[in-house]
Amino acid sequence: MSGEAGLATPFSERAGKALRDTFLQEALGIATTKFIGLRREAFEGFPQGDALRDQARAIKEATLQRLDVHLGRLADNIERLGGHVHWADTAEDAREIVLKLCRDKGVRMAVKSKSMATEEIDLNEALEHAGVTPVETDLGEYIIQLAHERPSHIIAPAIHKTKGQVAELISVVAGKQLAADPEVLTAAARVLLREKFLQADMGITGANFAVAETGTVVLVTNEGNGRMVTTLPRIHVAVMGIEKVIPSMTDLMVFLALLARSATGQKLSSYTTLVRGPRQAGELEGPDEFHMILMDGGRARQIAGPLREALYCLRCGACLNVCPVYRQIGGHAYGHTYPGPIGILLTAMLKGDRSVKDLAHASTLCGACKDVCPVRIDIPRMLVELRENLDREKIAPASERLVFKAFRGLLLSETAFKLSARIGRLAQRPFVRNGKLRSLPLFFGKWTATRDLPPIAARTFHERWKDLA
Amino acid sequence: MATRAEFLGRIRAEVAKTPGRFEAQTATRPPRPAEAAQAVRRQMAERWPEALERFRQEFEQVAGVFHRVKTVAEVPAAVLAIAREKSAREVVAWDASMLGLDLRPALGAAGLAVGTVAPGDNGEAARLRHRGEAARADLGVTGVDFALAETGTMILLSGAGRPRSTSLLPATHVAVFDRRRLIESLEQVGIMLEALHVDPARTMSGAVINFITGPSRTADIELTLTRGVHGPKEVHAVFVDEPLGSEGPA
Repeated sequence: MSGEAGLATPFSERAGKALRDTFLQEALGIATTKFIGLRREAFEGFPQGDALRDQARAIKEATLQRLDVHLGRLADNIERLGGHVHWADTAEDAREIVLKLCRDKGVRMAVKSKSMATEEIDLNEALEHAGVTPVETDLGEYIIQLAHERPSHIIAPAIHKTKGQVAELISVVAGKQLAADPEVLTAAARVLLREKFLQADMGITGANFAVAETGTVVLVTNEGNGRMVTTLPRIHVAVMGIEKVIPSMTDLMVFLALLARSATGQKLSSYTTLVRGPRQAGELEGPDEFHMILMDGGRARQIAGPLREALYCLRCGACLNVCPVYRQIGGHAYGHTYPGPIGILLTAMLKGDRSVKDLAHASTLCGACKDVCPVRIDIPRMLVELRENLDREKIAPASERLVFKAFRGLLLSETAFKLSARIGRLAQRPFVRNGKLRSLPLFFGKWTATRDLPPIAARTFHERWKDLA
Repeated sequence: MATRAEFLGRIRAEVAKTPGRFEAQTATRPPRPAEAAQAVRRQMAERWPEALERFRQEFEQVAGVFHRVKTVAEVPAAVLAIAREKSAREVVAWDASMLGLDLRPALGAAGLAVGTVAPGDNGEAARLRHRGEAARADLGVTGVDFALAETGTMILLSGAGRPRSTSLLPATHVAVFDRRRLIESLEQVGIMLEALHVDPARTMSGAVINFITGPSRTADIELTLTRGVHGPKEVHAVFVDEPLGSEGPA
């Protein structure tokens, strides 16, 4: 299923569908509330957290200021350790590099640990077309792969599935009916996937970080699948966006202290795996070959662009959990690889502003995302700028631009503003019920279809102020 | 497909468009990592009892099982007790030189098969044999390079005689260490890893460093916490008061 498949319907319909899905509503409420609580507890017991967030932000900024140097050093070190480095300008290039490796090395099956970068490039579909079987091994990703779906949350990809649905999916593969019990289903997945780890020719990972000074790829997982796919298959391929490089091990420790706390409230995830190159001399285990694919895909042009700060993102998912829009509609309604507030910005970065002309408005600009971000990305500011640009570039619909233009005129002229209040007061009369505007005619009805509008006051603030002053 | 020069050239051009941005610093690295690592060792020689207590608390909080024995001679019995409890029949372990003690006599006498790989033994035949052993084993016994107190984390370096799969494939992982492995903070881990990487000749022979914080876990089905999805379901730490016979990484 392509990442764009959800886009046959407009955003408002996708969101509407999510809002009518009662299980999804309940699951989202439970999951996001739980993650918010876990994160809060983790930071309450961690007084140095705030200072570390400032430091983490500074490290990301400093790294971007010399990104070419750090990437060069990373590549040098990986090659020194016997690994190969590939440079992918586009998602298509990255895909093609993986496919060529599969062809050249006779790869039949690839096991994957959870990676947003490979979701971003639609790698699974490409592998299937090329006759290579991709197997997602993160339990959540495995479930949605069996369901032919896409992740709905960056760190909890299958939160929209019930255990009953999961039982049906895994029972088919296991060849027997399994109870709808997470313990039973997890044990079954362990057996099924263990076999895949041992058989696969290639392990494909993303990278949470890469340390330039040491040539190290860092994988953070709870399940241990990241370790499996970098230990057992004969080839390891890591696909990474260029913004993930950090200079040193000292820097890495700052990010490790923040990442798991922000994502799941853990002090550290169960496994943090630091891998440099293929199996080294004297070692018994590990792949014969290591390939690092460094991908641009629209990132580089934002180094000097309006979305620069989005390049700091650690993909922890904290901003999804607190977002009042995400909490209502979930990840699928966004229709792209990266959901939530940061997802809107990342989608604009990777696919252009046009692709988010509706999504840019899927935010209340409440600022909760910025408050929880471990690197304090100013998401609301960039969303406002994105909306401005949609207007400037005439990407926003003409009607929308006209309304805002008219509104601007009203706000700039005192006479027009006062006059409009008077006209509005008269015009609204037939529609006020119990002190609320509940349904309006014409295109105004779009607003009142899902919410009430407070009417214009009998005496406006302007008018009352005159008496007081 | 871009060459490295083209790719980095384009990034350099973008970076050049953003002059005069605010001054931002990366984290300050120890100027002389080896000396800084020695300083950490000296601090920990004093502070290890507090670090051990913190390690125990944090480790138990992530569902780790903590054991403490007085002498190296008591370690095999402690491992055997865990093996019995798990009804284990096959065990894989790091080489005795890496573990700091030889488990084979005691476990072998109790009827357990113990698979190890000697440091020089790294050919294709040994690889295949050991993969089978590790996949079948019920218990994997490793050492620990750094035991990180503030998070209850065990940090293991891969290398000759210390296969990566020992702490991964068996359903139960047992890690044995002494006071010399204890450190307090992630910041100290940063110093130790900086020191390891500037001295590759002596230290990091392997490609992998694993931070292990409790057993393998998932909450991907309706947020229900479940252990042992891919890696171990149980992780045990066996702390020995007496120094083990193994040399640490730094």
